[in-house]
Amino acid sequence: MAAPGVDPITLEVVTEGLIAIVREMRATIIRASYSSVIYEFDDFSCALFDPDGQMVAQSWDHPGHVLPLPWGVGCALEDFRDDLKPGDAVLLNDPYRGGTHLNDVTLLFPVFDECGAPMVFPAVRAHWVDVGGMVPGSYSGLSTNIYQEGVRIPPIKIVEEGRVNRSAMALLMANMRVPEEREGDLNASFGACRIAEQRIRRLYDKYGRACVEDCIATHLDRTERRLRDRIAALPDGDYCYEDYLEYFDDGRLDPVLMRLRLTVSGDRMIADFAGTNPQVPGVVNSSLAVTGAGVFVAIKATLDPGGAVNQGAFRPVELRAPEASIADVRHDAPAGAHGEVRKRAVSVTLGALSQIVPDRVSGDLCGTSFPNAIGGFNKRRDRQYVYYEAPAGGNGGFLQHDGPSAMVNVDFGNLPSIQTVESIENEMPLLVERCELRIDSGGPGTSRGGLGMRREVRLLDDEGSYSVLSDRAVIPPFGVLGGGSGAPYIVSVVRDGGETGFPTPGKVTGHTIRRDDIVVMRSAGGGGYGDPLARDPASVRRDVAEGLVSRAAAAEVYGVVLDDGGEIDGAASEAARTALAAARYRARVVADDALDPYVGGRGRRRTVRFSPAMAARLGVSEGDLTEVMGANPAPLRAWVTVDAGHIDDTVLLDPFGRKALGVEHGDTVVLRPVPTPGVPGGLA
Amino acid sequence: MQDPGPAFRVGVDVGGTFTDAVAYDDETRSVRYAKVPSTPGDPAEAVVAALEALDIEGSDIDRFVHGITIGTNAILEGRGAEVWMLVTRGFRDVLDIARTNRATLYDITTLKPLPIVPRSRTAEIDERIMFDGSVLAPLDEDRVRAAIDSLSLGPDAAVVVCLLHSYAFPGHERRVAALVREAHPEVFVCTSSDVLPQFREYERFNTAALNAYIGPLMNRYLSDLEHRLQGRGYGRNVFIMTSNGGVSTAGRARRLPIATVLSGPAGGVAAALHLGSRTGIRNLITCDMGGTSTDVCLISDLHVPVTGEQTIGSYANRTPQIEINTVGAGGGSIAWLDAGDILAVGPRSAGAAPGPACYGKGGTDATVTDANLVLNRLKSGSRLAGHIALDRDRAVAAMAPLMDRLGLEVDALAEGIVRIAVARMVSAIKQISIAKGFDPRDFVLCSYGGAGPMHAASIAEEMDISRVVLPRGPGNFAALGSLISDIRQDHALTKTLQPARTGYAEIDGVFRSMEEEGRAQLQAEGVAPEHIAVRRSLGMRYLGQSWELDVDIPDEVQSAEAVDAAFHAVHDRRFGHRSAGATEIVTFRIAVIGRVAPLALPALPGGGDLAAAVVERRRVYFDGAFRDTPVYDRGRIPPEAAIEGPAVVEEAGATTVLPPAWRGYANGHGDLILERR
Repeated sequence: MAAPGVDPITLEVVTEGLIAIVREMRATIIRASYSSVIYEFDDFSCALFDPDGQMVAQSWDHPGHVLPLPWGVGCALEDFRDDLKPGDAVLLNDPYRGGTHLNDVTLLFPVFDECGAPMVFPAVRAHWVDVGGMVPGSYSGLSTNIYQEGVRIPPIKIVEEGRVNRSAMALLMANMRVPEEREGDLNASFGACRIAEQRIRRLYDKYGRACVEDCIATHLDRTERRLRDRIAALPDGDYCYEDYLEYFDDGRLDPVLMRLRLTVSGDRMIADFAGTNPQVPGVVNSSLAVTGAGVFVAIKATLDPGGAVNQGAFRPVELRAPEASIADVRHDAPAGAHGEVRKRAVSVTLGALSQIVPDRVSGDLCGTSFPNAIGGFNKRRDRQYVYYEAPAGGNGGFLQHDGPSAMVNVDFGNLPSIQTVESIENEMPLLVERCELRIDSGGPGTSRGGLGMRREVRLLDDEGSYSVLSDRAVIPPFGVLGGGSGAPYIVSVVRDGGETGFPTPGKVTGHTIRRDDIVVMRSAGGGGYGDPLARDPASVRRDVAEGLVSRAAAAEVYGVVLDDGGEIDGAASEAARTALAAARYRARVVADDALDPYVGGRGRRRTVRFSPAMAARLGVSEGDLTEVMGANPAPLRAWVTVDAGHIDDTVLLDPFGRKALGVEHGDTVVLRPVPTPGVPGGLA
Repeated sequence: MQDPGPAFRVGVDVGGTFTDAVAYDDETRSVRYAKVPSTPGDPAEAVVAALEALDIEGSDIDRFVHGITIGTNAILEGRGAEVWMLVTRGFRDVLDIARTNRATLYDITTLKPLPIVPRSRTAEIDERIMFDGSVLAPLDEDRVRAAIDSLSLGPDAAVVVCLLHSYAFPGHERRVAALVREAHPEVFVCTSSDVLPQFREYERFNTAALNAYIGPLMNRYLSDLEHRLQGRGYGRNVFIMTSNGGVSTAGRARRLPIATVLSGPAGGVAAALHLGSRTGIRNLITCDMGGTSTDVCLISDLHVPVTGEQTIGSYANRTPQIEINTVGAGGGSIAWLDAGDILAVGPRSAGAAPGPACYGKGGTDATVTDANLVLNRLKSGSRLAGHIALDRDRAVAAMAPLMDRLGLEVDALAEGIVRIAVARMVSAIKQISIAKGFDPRDFVLCSYGGAGPMHAASIAEEMDISRVVLPRGPGNFAALGSLISDIRQDHALTKTLQPARTGYAEIDGVFRSMEEEGRAQLQAEGVAPEHIAVRRSLGMRYLGQSWELDVDIPDEVQSAEAVDAAFHAVHDRRFGHRSAGATEIVTFRIAVIGRVAPLALPALPGGGDLAAAVVERRRVYFDGAFRDTPVYDRGRIPPEAAIEGPAVVEEAGATTVLPPAWRGYANGHGDLILERR
């Protein structure tokens, strides 16, 4: 296994030693950064690269950050390949050149030995709270192009042979809010890189270049082998799924389509996003680096938990996407909500994987990063402030267990999504009024989806500016194997006792709030796993006793009727379950290979044609969202088109739709409505 | 002539399997050891039995120090009290929501730990304090009483009071606690500000909830123990080893049991530190292997790492503690078959009852000890703790079901069990060494505990460590450590101020008032003022940063500028840069230390013949075959004489194994040093 000359202990000491260096970098960043997102939320990543730009070590890093990092390093090396000298450092944040979104600023710190030969080197990517642009916090739900999202930094040498490029620095800082803190953030990244440089030199001194390189090659190869073995054990074939991101065009909801064909072929996988929506002038686009991170996380977290994560692990998965699509953004579409694209890539990959390994997937995750920002001037501390929190929602239920509540999704890694109330109130003119789990938000299922949370923040200053950029605020996380949807995200403002929502749910930019206004943030629940009518009644009873599920939902969704003392009424429950099962609406599949079910403005959304009688039976009308459940675990979402000429009790399906559902002509599907919040502007 | 008073210092360490005791006579400088089986149902019984085994009357004891793990075990095994929480309205889910982060990456089935207090056992209180300690909404006492009445407290329940910003103003929490005590005088009650007066509510609430979780259990135990010791004539303070490596009075441990969760392992680390200074070995990895679990700690340059950010089980515990990594593998760990017939060892342990199969006390599962007996590394028929005779036939019989399933001979199976146990310990050591950037080859392995010396060389071999030190009295090493540990109380206070603005006088004033209280507490617990020392430190950061850095403030720091300079220096050293920006103090910390006289252990007499130390030769299994192996009596090994492996060294309470590639010798203090050839 080990390369010639590398004994197993040395192999482990060196590979673990590299990871330990990353760990030390992380500790430095956390403790020395100024941006609250960095220090409180671990919204950063550190990694070590070999001179070819292969990621050789990372640690407990945010997968959404660290997985696309090699693309950024690759772009920088491409630009400066023969032009890097000792003492140079490269800065970048360009989403079109290996960045994620503009707030994530990446520093590369090349390291050379005394002969000038390149060594392993560190890179840090950290989320700066503000990089300029039209709103505090920089990225905004209403951006239509990247210039509104802040300063774009293509790979530049911010330090040349040890001398800081003051002009570039001054230009950057002049275009960011609270520049002294941004400089502090950059210093933290430099500090981490300097520590790493010392440790790397020590490692080379102790073991020698050849040994270190052998260890790295061996380690990357064995990581690759491990994932390939897992993939090889799966049945070859194509597995298809689709899902949406929420784009608003002039106030009208215009869902954009993400479509995935996941191919298993021997010991490799191909994730092909053909058919995915072209990019749009809204914040639902990202780079293939980011989309690929979502695919990778879903594959790794279901097939190979516990394996190492480095360049070797990326090799078995090939990515394809149409250029200038939401999955591979190009100039000058905005890229602020990279997390949303990544998360939807996780959703579609989970949907496809559910067809291969139904025992290992979960219901959909809450599915958005939910960054809420309040900015203003803090008179007490005589400085500007930016409050930033992303209250985590629920996770999908899975075979063995209910989904965890209020816990960040697997693509966020170990990131805590909220600050402690006491930190916030010490530093900002805000008062947290309430923070609790959100009853009935978990998707119903044999294993229930986890609950979202409700967090309320009151402004204690005269005026502030509120922004949020959320998905899954209309189209909720899906359940699998008959499990129900989680409740979608909701934000609102309470003023003088009256609560007001927003006309574009989940997308708010620079909304002015006044003293004593309360911003109410509700995060989504996770999708359910399995039929809720098969859930153990004792679990439903316990959920009611713990206040996680209401008595009404217990009866109406789970068919578990509780008496006044909270105990299960066996006879009534059995009757309720029988009635609920009987009321399910089944329709017959009619294959239509010529059908193009998608409509939209810039977006593309699947429609399903119902007769008036079908719509009445389901209690839906034109433009409502429904779900079609077939033989495969995950349902398809479709918007209703009512057509008087449509044959009752039938559903027309295109080839992709039939493939995604695992059904053929003449098969039966189950239809059910998906309740969504109102959008005053309607559908595009 | 004045009566010299009682002469003995006694340390007793209660482990999962055995209870070990050490007595040191300050007059004669002599040491006595005892080892008795633990009595998990009633741990104090074994403590009393250990005193009897030492043959010391209570009235002859000057100072009784105790290491206990019952609190830790209760947390790890989920056997703590039913805790009810009274919390600021709107925040009943703080423990459940926690920080919303994940315990593992890249695993879709990761779960959150269950909160110590479930939702249905919380009641919300109407009140609100602001960050500066001012009261936004006063306490509504009538509604508090109603909330207390709504709790259905069982006989073993505990109550924790957790209110926002209580570190800045503890008044509301204290009043609520008083009202609880009024209604339920028998119930254990604590407040978050008494347990940990620091900001960040999740960590404070969780630490306080853990304190309540083990409070009733520890109080019952300590009352019982004090009562029994009094019955034997010991009327002085009972001291408890604490997680920070110091000791505290039992009275304080009753209020703050969470500060004792690492009580057991802390004693061993204290003793290892002492050994390091005595022998000049400055880099040590300690490996304390008992019957149930193994604790490892890395001492670099004689510095014991103390952290305020550990977790116990999956729970945040912010009381300061030695950085120790624990793995559920020890002599009593049971071998079993995992899915797919993969041989696994632990974490389930046969413990003291029934114990390994070879104890003949009803155990039928094969354990690590049984495996060592099969391999003849332990001697068949020999007696442990005086009365347990090891029965090799029973050990072989216990192996039978595993042999059948795996198709292995008994010797090969036994060797496999030992190797797997060793691998688990190696993995625990990697986490504190390699994973933190230390090369284990730069360290000496210091192994103790009843099962430590038996596996030390194998562990070292796996880690490529070339030197091992096995202290004298390895089975009682943790108990010895408790005798030499100072009394130590850590106090922390969250108070935000900028040195440059407020000046040194105010900083000094905060420290002085903390010190006054700390000294008074120690004096009230019987420590003479001249033996009390205080160490100051500050949690500081640059204005705008959110994580503070601990900065030691020695006596010579006497100005705000000097405070800042100390912080800049630490920041630079730790993070590679400093800033010209304004600084801020967040947390004041003091360690109040009551010094204890050091032990003066006598050197062993030199001379003697190594051959005379051989008690027998027996066939011991190494590398696939039984080999003729000399067995030495440790007490008769002369200093500096070279012992060549394979060899076995026996003593009361422990057996040392030297594999074929190892040699060893005893130093002048009776420590065994093993080296790879």
